[in-house]
Amino acid sequence: MNRLLRSSPVTWALGYLLLGLAALVAFAVLLWYAWNVSIFSGREEILHADAQHLADVFAREGPQGLKAHIDSRLRLQIVGERTLLLTDADYRPLAGNLAAWPREIPDGAGTHAVMVDQLAGQPVHTLLLRTTLPGGYHLLVGRDLGFYLPLERKFAWGLTAAITFLFVVGVAGAVLIRRQLLARVQGMRTTVSAIMAGDLRRRLPAADSGDEFDTLSRTINGMLDHIERLIHGVSDVSNSIAHDLRTPLAELRSRLEELTLTRPEPAETFAAIEAAVADVDRVMSIFAALLRLAELDTGARRSGFVEVDAARVAAEVVEFYEPAAEQKGVAFSFRAAGAAPVAGDPVLLAQALSNLIDNSLKCVPERGAIVVCVDKRADGSVAIEVADNGPGIAAADKPKATERFFRGDASRNTPGVGLGLSIVDAVARLHGGALELLDNHPGLRAQMVLPVTAATSSR
Amino acid sequence: MKILIVEDNERVAQFVTKGLREAGHTVEHAANGRDGLFLAASEPHDVIVMDRMLPGNVDGLGIIEALRQAGNRTPILILSALDAVDERIKGLRSGGDDYLTKPFAFGELLARVDALGRRSSGAEAGHTLQVGDLRMDLLSRRVTRGSRAITLQPREFKLLEYLMRHADQVVTRTMLLEAVWEYNFDPQTNVVDVHISKLRQKIEHESEAPLVRTVRNAGYMMTEHE
Repeated sequence: MNRLLRSSPVTWALGYLLLGLAALVAFAVLLWYAWNVSIFSGREEILHADAQHLADVFAREGPQGLKAHIDSRLRLQIVGERTLLLTDADYRPLAGNLAAWPREIPDGAGTHAVMVDQLAGQPVHTLLLRTTLPGGYHLLVGRDLGFYLPLERKFAWGLTAAITFLFVVGVAGAVLIRRQLLARVQGMRTTVSAIMAGDLRRRLPAADSGDEFDTLSRTINGMLDHIERLIHGVSDVSNSIAHDLRTPLAELRSRLEELTLTRPEPAETFAAIEAAVADVDRVMSIFAALLRLAELDTGARRSGFVEVDAARVAAEVVEFYEPAAEQKGVAFSFRAAGAAPVAGDPVLLAQALSNLIDNSLKCVPERGAIVVCVDKRADGSVAIEVADNGPGIAAADKPKATERFFRGDASRNTPGVGLGLSIVDAVARLHGGALELLDNHPGLRAQMVLPVTAATSSR
Repeated sequence: MKILIVEDNERVAQFVTKGLREAGHTVEHAANGRDGLFLAASEPHDVIVMDRMLPGNVDGLGIIEALRQAGNRTPILILSALDAVDERIKGLRSGGDDYLTKPFAFGELLARVDALGRRSSGAEAGHTLQVGDLRMDLLSRRVTRGSRAITLQPREFKLLEYLMRHADQVVTRTMLLEAVWEYNFDPQTNVVDVHISKLRQKIEHESEAPLVRTVRNAGYMMTEHE
């Protein structure tokens, strides 16, 4: 019970239930009061009017006339709603439907509520008005107080039924809502527990109903995606460091060890040392790339975003690479449709584009072609694209192409450490966009799409 | 040049000191921040090489700020293992003139120290640069070799200007990337080399003496001397 009360839906439902009950009771009390006032005072008025009317008859027609009037009145009455009694000065009944002057009535004029025995039938709870007429005659005019009793009883029943109904529905509603909520919360809890236990691929159930729970679930799922990517990034990096750094370090070690063991001629020694320095440089370049990736993934560089014309950045990078392409005999062209403003880091964008061009230059055949273009799309987003007619990336490799240290079969024998596309991808994501690897039939069309939101959010 | 090195790692300090001495410089070494500040403040140097992480949790940047506040204008090269862009910016804002991340190639360090030393000596005179018979007019942006006029693209002009300003000094590919293209990343292909060879074709015709030399394991040097 305690646990039930601590559950927030139950607390809310009970709160609303109490509010409903309070409203109902307040309504009933007010109604009861109004009813009593109007019926009770209305009754007295009628009694007074009745008594006045009979007194008038008495004054006009004398005791006999009144007696006849009363008799005729009572004859018309079916149930004992009305009580009438005329007595002489000694309280001996002359006319009416009471056998005797009721003893319970105190002296003095006014209204009194008493039980009286009517001539025909049951004792009736009656409101009586006592009047003394000229000549010592006494007149009682009464009305059955129980006349509205069935109605009042019905009202009380109705009120009780309403309260009971409200209570039952309220409690049942609370329990149902709680059960419903618990089921959803429980679903989330089991998922989250599973994730905490290490199953990072689990996601919260989210239907398309668009209610608050689904919205929340989807938001949390987005967060989980990001966390999973980060964690995978970390474990990838550790794996890669273990794997890809070990290779050049092992080479370096054996090279140096061999030198100390064989002690060759100076010329040979220096050649080996130079090769060792190259090994170290390779390790350092991997480190630099990994550090840059880590820096990109934290999103810290976003603080340095400014409004950049992507077309201009691209034009400069293209100009930078033009001689290299020319030397290789590659047709290198650039096309941009006017300025393409985005919020971003010009140097990072330049580096990302330079990585893409580097990749293309490495893999296009002699006399190949590379086309760089910057387009502003209809929705305001900016696409920076590098298309070549090289071997491209196999469809099966595309999802893995941006993973750290991944190298497709085609690039196995070219220089590089397999971090270029990872950096492009990280730069695109840092700018709120994405890197898409499309087919160029033949070749690769690598496209960085930077959303318009990146351009507006920073202003 | 007289150079002060503030560096606590003995091996690095020894390596740098030896290399700079061999290059003909006078070198002083301080192994901690206090000594470094004292030496820097007590006698004039042409260049200071300052490590960032010094013993006792002293940040070299603090020393640089102290020197700058005391009115010391000696060019300072910051050495640091901290590679993030923010760290570089912090280093340059604190009053450093150049930033080199560890580990580094000695050629890179030497080239940058030379460049800083040259900057402080204010060797620039007027609005023309000259190396041998190659002349560059910075105002009219005209380049001539002897009587021959050379047409250069804007970026080629900037590249040649940088080489000429640092004539008789080694400039590394990284320095060129930073100064001419303002890129602080290393492209994987030898793009800088291609730019240099294109420039060479324009300024060194077959009959003319070579001016841009390739310095093995370091970079390039523009000089009229053999």
